[in-house]
Amino acid sequence: MNEGKGRFDIMELIKKVLFTDFVKGLVITFGYNVSMDSVITVKYPDEEKWIPYRRFRGLHTLNRTADGRELCVACELCSKACPTRCITVIPMEDNTGRGISDRVAKVWKVDLVRCLFCGYCEDACPTRAVRLGREYELACFDRNCAVKNREELLRPQPVPEEMSGGVVAKARLRTTPDGIEVVADLSETRKRRV
Amino acid sequence: MTEKNDLIATKEITLHMGPQHPSMHGVLHLILDIQGEKIVHAEPDIGYLHRGTEKIAENLLYHQFVPYTDRLDYMASMSNNLAYVQSVEKLLGIEIPERAKYIRVAAAELSRIAGHLLAIGAWALDLGAMSILLYAMREREYVLDIFEMLCGSRMTLTYLRVGGVRYDFTQECKDACARMIELFPSRIDEYETILTGNRVWIQRNKGIGVLTAEQALDLGLSGPALRASGVKWDIRKDEPYLVYDRLDFDVPTGTNGDCFDRYLCRMEEIRQSMRIIRQAVRDMPDGPFNVDIPEICPPPKPDVYKNMEALIHHFKYVSQGFKAPKGEVYSSIESPKGELGVYIVSDGGEKPFRLKLRSPSFMNLQTVNAMSEGMYLADVIAIISSLDPVFGECDK
Ligand code: SF4
Ligand code: SF4
Repeated sequence: MNEGKGRFDIMELIKKVLFTDFVKGLVITFGYNVSMDSVITVKYPDEEKWIPYRRFRGLHTLNRTADGRELCVACELCSKACPTRCITVIPMEDNTGRGISDRVAKVWKVDLVRCLFCGYCEDACPTRAVRLGREYELACFDRNCAVKNREELLRPQPVPEEMSGGVVAKARLRTTPDGIEVVADLSETRKRRV
Repeated sequence: MTEKNDLIATKEITLHMGPQHPSMHGVLHLILDIQGEKIVHAEPDIGYLHRGTEKIAENLLYHQFVPYTDRLDYMASMSNNLAYVQSVEKLLGIEIPERAKYIRVAAAELSRIAGHLLAIGAWALDLGAMSILLYAMREREYVLDIFEMLCGSRMTLTYLRVGGVRYDFTQECKDACARMIELFPSRIDEYETILTGNRVWIQRNKGIGVLTAEQALDLGLSGPALRASGVKWDIRKDEPYLVYDRLDFDVPTGTNGDCFDRYLCRMEEIRQSMRIIRQAVRDMPDGPFNVDIPEICPPPKPDVYKNMEALIHHFKYVSQGFKAPKGEVYSSIESPKGELGVYIVSDGGEKPFRLKLRSPSFMNLQTVNAMSEGMYLADVIAIISSLDPVFGECDK
């Protein structure tokens, strides 16, 4: 062993005795403890809620034209495109002006238990009737409520299409007959801290 | 082998570790023969998450299988998408546009960062350093936000498609990547400050699970674990795909082949991935991001409304898919865990006749016995973490 190596060892020993390796690490963790803007936690669901970006693929929505007619023409392309075959479409004739053509969907339902949220149905739809929306709180008490029907999906989504998303909005809890809902207040938003 | 110590003779017992063990990765079940605290033999028992992915592929159109590949290595799903679509493209013999290539590189590297961050976070957690997991998750969350912006999903991305990508890489995404490159290096240094010099971390990892280069090659190891053994093998460099040959990046290698080197390799790879993303985003050309073959990539929606021919292509694509020529292909990429290969046999139809996945987690797990023989029981945790197996991929 030469001189240099010996000195090196002593330095190492001093560092070891002084616990410099631990201290360096603890300085970092302690630094995060004291500075308040490093808190990245989103207080979901009590106070805040994440509003996803526009391309988000959440619960399906069925869209209408501006004058309220259903865009779906029951062509069944979405159910053909679906890798898991979880969309059921049964067409019917209706010339009362419910849809944009005389052919409308009698049944349009999607089984969310099997859905992969891949968005292929959205890509397949020739009339842009089905779209994966930004609703993501899909937990429910039994399997039946995971099957969503046309009526439910035709309801407008809480997050409007114009909003680009990617923000944390203020939220509060609301009790409904089906359970508790998180209602976001879209006027009060902030960026997520990084 | 077993009765070395005459003074304390213990009986060899078999210990089942997992699949519910808290520090086991996913649903790994290890059957350990132990003599006192020392491992005599370790055998992984896999298959708890088997979903028949390869069989599912035989029943789906080529383009419909992409969402299933997300569920293989769910920590870095972009790489799986890439491996699959790339082999289908090879089978079809099509060349994707330049822009799509750059987008794919940037996306794949983002998912490598996400994968490695979680690997290191979980590893540190398993060895008792909880804060690293929290920090790594914070950074991973940022990467996932970019993914959400890019393709609308955080984990199961389904972003790539045969012939290109599904959505454009917008300026917003580019800005987010730029911010990430600004933000991350100091954070990664923080992890290194906490871990690399820490005596506990060193003791738990240095000299543990040593594999020589020769052994590693014999056992079919790949990815960062192989490079830590000193073998400079990275498919991105050695058999470049996409545009990796035009980008400037280094392949880190280790010397000792122990857990500590594997950790250092992963850390360095995160940094190198950021270098790649910076270049890919900078050099990304404008232009189309899908091939101009209407049978494989149906025309964009606005065309479908106006143009009868486009509408026919759209209907045909959705309802029947496209036919691939008869033949067999194998194509592989460097996924965060190692070599991820997809082998497709086509009988000329619109569904694969047979699809085989060469998943790195499965292959890498073969080395567990070689690494843990003669080690202590507690070292097995470090060894498994250093391989970073993901069971969606291993059990398929
Ligand atoms: S998102 Fe995918 S899996 Fe779900 S209904 Fe649409 S096509 Fe089917
Ligand atoms: S939602 Fe679209 S694809 Fe599905 S049946 Fe209606 S029009 Fe056709």
